[in-house]
Amino acid sequence: MIQTSDYVIETHGLSKSFGDVQALRGVDLSVPRHSIFGFLGPNGAGKTTLMKLLLGLSRPTGGSASIFGHDIVADSVAIRERIGYLPQQPRFVEHMTARENLRLAARFFFSGPPAAIEDRCDEMLALVGLADRAERPIKGFSGGEKQRLGIALAQVNYPDLLILDEPASALDPLGRQAVLDVMIRLRKYTTIFYSTHILDDVQRVSDTVAILNHGQVAASGPIGQLLSGQDGVVYTVTVKGAVDGLGERLAALPWVTQATAAPGLRNGVSAWHVAVRDETEAEAALLRHVLEDPNTTVVEFSRKRYELEEVFVDLVKGDDHGR
Amino acid sequence: MAVNIDASTAPSTGLLRVQEWRPLRGFAALLHKENSAWWGTRRWWANALLWAGMLGGLVALVLWVLPSMAELAGDPSVAAAGGPLAFGLEMGRSLFFELGTLALAIGVIVLWQDAIVDEKQSGVAEWLLSKPVARRAYILAKLAAALLAVLALLIALPALIAYGLLSLRGGALYPPAPFLAGLGIMVVHTLFYLTLTLMLGTLFNSRPPILGISLGVLLGGSLLVSFFKPSIYITPWIMSKTAALVASGQPAPPELLWPPLVASALWCLIFVLAALAAFEKTEF
Repeated sequence: MIQTSDYVIETHGLSKSFGDVQALRGVDLSVPRHSIFGFLGPNGAGKTTLMKLLLGLSRPTGGSASIFGHDIVADSVAIRERIGYLPQQPRFVEHMTARENLRLAARFFFSGPPAAIEDRCDEMLALVGLADRAERPIKGFSGGEKQRLGIALAQVNYPDLLILDEPASALDPLGRQAVLDVMIRLRKYTTIFYSTHILDDVQRVSDTVAILNHGQVAASGPIGQLLSGQDGVVYTVTVKGAVDGLGERLAALPWVTQATAAPGLRNGVSAWHVAVRDETEAEAALLRHVLEDPNTTVVEFSRKRYELEEVFVDLVKGDDHGR
Repeated sequence: MAVNIDASTAPSTGLLRVQEWRPLRGFAALLHKENSAWWGTRRWWANALLWAGMLGGLVALVLWVLPSMAELAGDPSVAAAGGPLAFGLEMGRSLFFELGTLALAIGVIVLWQDAIVDEKQSGVAEWLLSKPVARRAYILAKLAAALLAVLALLIALPALIAYGLLSLRGGALYPPAPFLAGLGIMVVHTLFYLTLTLMLGTLFNSRPPILGISLGVLLGGSLLVSFFKPSIYITPWIMSKTAALVASGQPAPPELLWPPLVASALWCLIFVLAALAAFEKTEF
């Protein structure tokens, strides 16, 4: 069982309005310690707004939130002692080099000794593969290099929580891969809360996910749970041959909640999605029930796995239709 | 990309955590950043050259060239002042303290109009404030660094040059007390526009209103004085003249000296407090 203290971020009914526009509407989130928490949503869903509230860059108009058990409004400076933040478009002090920017970032946390600060800067530059560009002016950096430097700046204090706003969205595939690699490596040491709309990335690195739409959390939970679908456990049975009455027979089973034919298959092959309320019973008996009909051949039998994109589109579209 | 996988895991030892007073958390690092923007770039010598060259050059011109030209043109003010030397000294002092005070005000407005707005627009302010930084530390560090740079580069250096030129031309050390008193008035006048620009930077998100309002206060004030005389007692609008008068060693009427001086100092305080309050409420 997860204890309250195992959550790094907790929000309760967190809201933010800008005049008549409600950017966030009662957001409830719990981010487990040492998770890579993917925060998904279409553009304008409120992802950046939420991050800014957590960092004390903006004030909530309703609800409350805590990080490490500290209130985000009253204890913002104490919270930021333990946080690293990468904005959507990382900005730097332009007249400084990469190393000088890192030194500046380190000075917010460490008073010295200078040699140890230099060591930390070297370490961060190596972490993101920018050691050979340390003394170059920021102005000449590519988008990917700036993004990686941004991560180094965010990580310079070994934060307990890294908040990354769209860390890979502006990068080419190689740059994206590099950023995701860094995130995976950092997972052991820190909790990563990041926003993105690149669903592939989320599926690759996240263990927990929340989907935000129109300022509300549409779904949230471990990624495995989300990918297993919102309708409970669903099995897919693909059969060849006569299927008359198959749907009715399956639906009549006491542990089956729904049996629906999946569209799109031809040449005598059809697929059925069978939603069940008792997974154990289904594993033991579902296939047997299908095979009772001697005219039916089972081509495939598996538990249905959703792609994140499918879940995301369903949730976002479903929410929009309800508007 | 070559990434050192072990780098993230290698602990750096011996780092000492910053111990700072919580209400001013981040001040030392921010002050370092601001100072480096002034003193770590060409900005310091560019300003030093500009102000020392401009004010020193004009004073030199007035001390050595203008009196002879005025005499040749038969200007009666030369004789009225007691000869070309006295005329030159009077004009040089007036130029430095009267015109110099106004020029410095314009200088700090132009130099400082984007100090906060630039960082708000570029996202640097947002990034800095995502660090353990109290917002008042951000404002006060900017003010402290600007104060140091303005006092050193825009006021002290040109003043030193002007003092040297006045002494050289006069053939003896210029009396330091009235010179310093005039300089004090100049400093308060400059601080008024520095803090006004600071406050406007926290209230607005673009340069035009900052530049417009602060220059409007400076230039419009000079016009307003003619129509509404009591305004001189609660504003710095007469201070360029009193600075020149005080520096000449003549006694300035107390009602023209102290009320504007005290009022301007109070305005500086009000502007700083307003800037702190406004920035505290700023949303990024």
